[in-house]
Amino acid sequence: MDANRQVVNEQVLAHPLDVVVIDDEELFTEGCRQTLELGGYRAAVARGGLEGLQLVQTARPGVVLVDLKMPGMDGIEVLGRLSELEPSVVPIIVTGHGTVDSAVESMKIGAFDFLTKPFEPEKLLETVRRGMSLSVLRKEAKEVQPAETYHEEPPAPDKYDLLLQGLDVLGEAYSLGLEKRQLLDELNYLETEAKYHAQSLGQIKKKERAILDIRHDLMAADDIMRGYDFQKGALIQVLLDVQEHFNWLPKHILRWISGRLNIPLREIYTIANFYEAFSLEPRGRHSVQVCAGTACHVRGNSELLLRVSTALGIQPGQTDSKQEFTLETVNCLGCCALAPVMQIDDNYYKNPSRGKLDKVFKSLEKEEAQACHA
Amino acid sequence: MSRINSHDDLLKLRKKVLFQRNAKELYLTICAGTGCRAYGAEALAEAFEKEIDRRGIGHRVAVRRSGCHGFCERGPLVLIQPKGICYLGAQVKDVSAIIDSSVEKDELIERLLYLDQETGKRVALAEEIPFYKHQKRILMENNALIDPTNILDYIAVGGYSALAKALTGMSPEKVLNEVKNANLRGRGGAGFAAGRKWETARKAPGEPKYVIVNADEGDPGAYMDRSLLEGNPHSILEGLIIGAYAIGASEGFIYVRQEYPLARKHAQIAIEQARESGLLGENILGSGFSFNVKIHRGAGAFVSGESSALMSAIEGRVGEPRPKYIHTSEKGVWGKPSCLNNVETWANVPFIINHGAEWFCGMGTKDSKGTKIFSLVGKVNNTGLVEVPMGIKLRDIIFKIGGGIPKGKKFKAVQTGGPSGGVIPESLLDLKVDFDELTKAGSMMGSGGMIVMDEDTCMVDTARYYINFLAHESCGKCVPCREGLRQMLKILNRITSGEGREGDIELLEELSEFMEAASLCALGQSASFPVRSTIQYFRDEYEAHIREGRCPAGVCSALITYEIDQTKCEACGACERACSVGAVEKSENKTFAILQEKCIKCGACFTACPEKVAAVIKVPAAVLLPPPASATWSETRV
Repeated sequence: MDANRQVVNEQVLAHPLDVVVIDDEELFTEGCRQTLELGGYRAAVARGGLEGLQLVQTARPGVVLVDLKMPGMDGIEVLGRLSELEPSVVPIIVTGHGTVDSAVESMKIGAFDFLTKPFEPEKLLETVRRGMSLSVLRKEAKEVQPAETYHEEPPAPDKYDLLLQGLDVLGEAYSLGLEKRQLLDELNYLETEAKYHAQSLGQIKKKERAILDIRHDLMAADDIMRGYDFQKGALIQVLLDVQEHFNWLPKHILRWISGRLNIPLREIYTIANFYEAFSLEPRGRHSVQVCAGTACHVRGNSELLLRVSTALGIQPGQTDSKQEFTLETVNCLGCCALAPVMQIDDNYYKNPSRGKLDKVFKSLEKEEAQACHA
Repeated sequence: MSRINSHDDLLKLRKKVLFQRNAKELYLTICAGTGCRAYGAEALAEAFEKEIDRRGIGHRVAVRRSGCHGFCERGPLVLIQPKGICYLGAQVKDVSAIIDSSVEKDELIERLLYLDQETGKRVALAEEIPFYKHQKRILMENNALIDPTNILDYIAVGGYSALAKALTGMSPEKVLNEVKNANLRGRGGAGFAAGRKWETARKAPGEPKYVIVNADEGDPGAYMDRSLLEGNPHSILEGLIIGAYAIGASEGFIYVRQEYPLARKHAQIAIEQARESGLLGENILGSGFSFNVKIHRGAGAFVSGESSALMSAIEGRVGEPRPKYIHTSEKGVWGKPSCLNNVETWANVPFIINHGAEWFCGMGTKDSKGTKIFSLVGKVNNTGLVEVPMGIKLRDIIFKIGGGIPKGKKFKAVQTGGPSGGVIPESLLDLKVDFDELTKAGSMMGSGGMIVMDEDTCMVDTARYYINFLAHESCGKCVPCREGLRQMLKILNRITSGEGREGDIELLEELSEFMEAASLCALGQSASFPVRSTIQYFRDEYEAHIREGRCPAGVCSALITYEIDQTKCEACGACERACSVGAVEKSENKTFAILQEKCIKCGACFTACPEKVAAVIKVPAAVLLPPPASATWSETRV
């Protein structure tokens, strides 16, 4: 049997692998491999930690499934070595001893996610799918690291191969009797894809930046979540930190958090909509808040609001076109003795005149300009 | 800082700190509460430090940034201790003069002292300023004596002695009994007996138990919790630890609203300092009792101040209330017994333990003991935070402490209890303020907001303001609250825009009754109070809006127009400059006039016109009155 597998693995090595499964239980590994292959992934199996690491080194897969408890080198150790060996590989922990502790422990040392045995095939495929997309991101980011040495004409990426493959598939579909209309749709789609890739070749530099930026964002989100030990219950605190860091809640970060904390995206959006502190649109660099508390209402905050609104040229709830200021009303700033009162960033102002407002706004804009210049 | 391992250690440390403090002759205490910061308190404190450095008198004079002293109207406040001199509204340019006269010599700077309008005399000492004189400051007193970021300051004024007393000399039952005997009622709103809550949590099965500080001060117009947490965070922490000991809780939360970053920061510093000193964490003061506290930030939702909603927010979920067939003291955070009290309630605990229940019961009325902090704001001369014994007359708070209504206007009403409270008219000014009297008058204590309104405040507009607020903040879970508020707002908007109908008042009353009976949580049950109480006491104002299309206070913009009295106008042009829409124009005879078709009725010209000229006037707008309609439910469906 072992010899048999050796042959299989060697054959597989002729092509790059998607997934390597490292576990000492044969029934389990075979089950995984079959599920994965049925799901369209190229998978191979290793029966122990050391063997697994060797396989990873030669085959450089996107995702590695690692069992926590194995004779010899255990899962935690494999994870540790993996991160040195192939940092772009995305490790997923599999455990039959599913305690929260071991899962948390593995997340801390860099596991992307964990599966508790036994699991449904769908669950496995879904987790691997997410892992693969991360691995693609990581690999791309790695490729663009040495930006200076980049040629003006980069080697064409395999997107065109993809296109060709797509056309093959179409041909096949045609022979299978797919309707013309559907075929046309597919063709249109591929054409747009092709155009997009051609464009992106021209904008490769921009894309590099975008990928690096996204990577950077995700790392920042990870740092925030790490501060709360990746606990589900800390979601509101995490979102507050994200809001503070990015000044709004970008969609890709919310998706990332959803995966990391294993909370449905729907739930995250419910919370983001419920609480006033969160913004699902980019906000201005400076926050301008006019208090609408009772004391301020009684002392004429509507005049103040109008003054601020005309000074900035925006209505409450809006951000100006330069993304400089966001104007809002808030229920109570909690310094009612100063009513009517407003807050610009961290500073409070008691019923400022139009002249004073203009001065403050101008100086903030100027600061920004200087910072940009510098 | 070394760990304090016993009661003796604490006493020794206090002695040492006091000895060091006495080496300085004078402290210049600058209020660095949020109010005074807005007036430039930080720059003032830095200027003092620089000047003291420059003169080389740092060995005998020190600057201290303290929390809020309460008299926010007149900030920034500078106290010279121990002399007790209080300067109001001091600016950076006054720094050198203050040091010259009041630090180096024993003189006073008259112009920075409080001017008593009645006697025409200047008042030098803080305790003699009428604003402070008629108060009974127990919780707030230490705010002026300590730097909230320094635990030693708190220990110097006797801080943590109540904790030491409780942990080393009292059993948890005894602590609980003391609080029960003191009849301490929750300061957050409803006034539920804290001792009973504690007892329920203590007896409820389940481990661990939690204690929670509710610092989600959402009521617009109230900010005493903020000032306590910013100005004296250790007192709340001490109260919380004592409570945890009595209840048998091992973990605690301080739930701070996101709008209070300074309060959060100071609470965080306090927790860290207490932990380093062995007053928090494992084996507190060597007693074997262990307790930990975490800060949880709110994310801006009024309803999250409700106990069950706050607890779901702590669990990281949407902060919606749940029906409370089972109290949160039995099943709260993660289904465990959780005792939640407001900031001010916890702050009372150390005093009760130190001085005893009897002392505490010596203040207040039959069923409301101790003091209460009110935020006295709105149309009143001395706005700020006032701490008074329960049972004080409303009139004394507003006129003796608050100094009456500005600009000689007439008092109309005072709103208490936030959005769940009601208005109290002039006829009830001699009411003795406590939990039950306020409820009897159709309002409530709430968290202690006290918003004074004068003749220029429209009562229908006030009701509309609160209903608008609540309609926005209702979580929408139960129908009576969500829909009731929406319909109420529609009716009130109609009335304030001159389209009110006969029968609207009765319809509002009917809706109130229904919402009160059928809503899920206190937000909905009490949401109609602002409407009910304004109708009860100011029905005539509603009727004037509906029947005559007239706003007696001249507030509702649809019912007034602004005009310029040509005989009074002195053509200074202030109104023209103030107008943001260009509706003020120079007329032929060089005075100004308002173009009604451009005017948006913001009132900017009215405010801009100098008081002694007063040429801009409000005139009732001609409103087409709707034909009288009958008021059956089906026809008035909104």
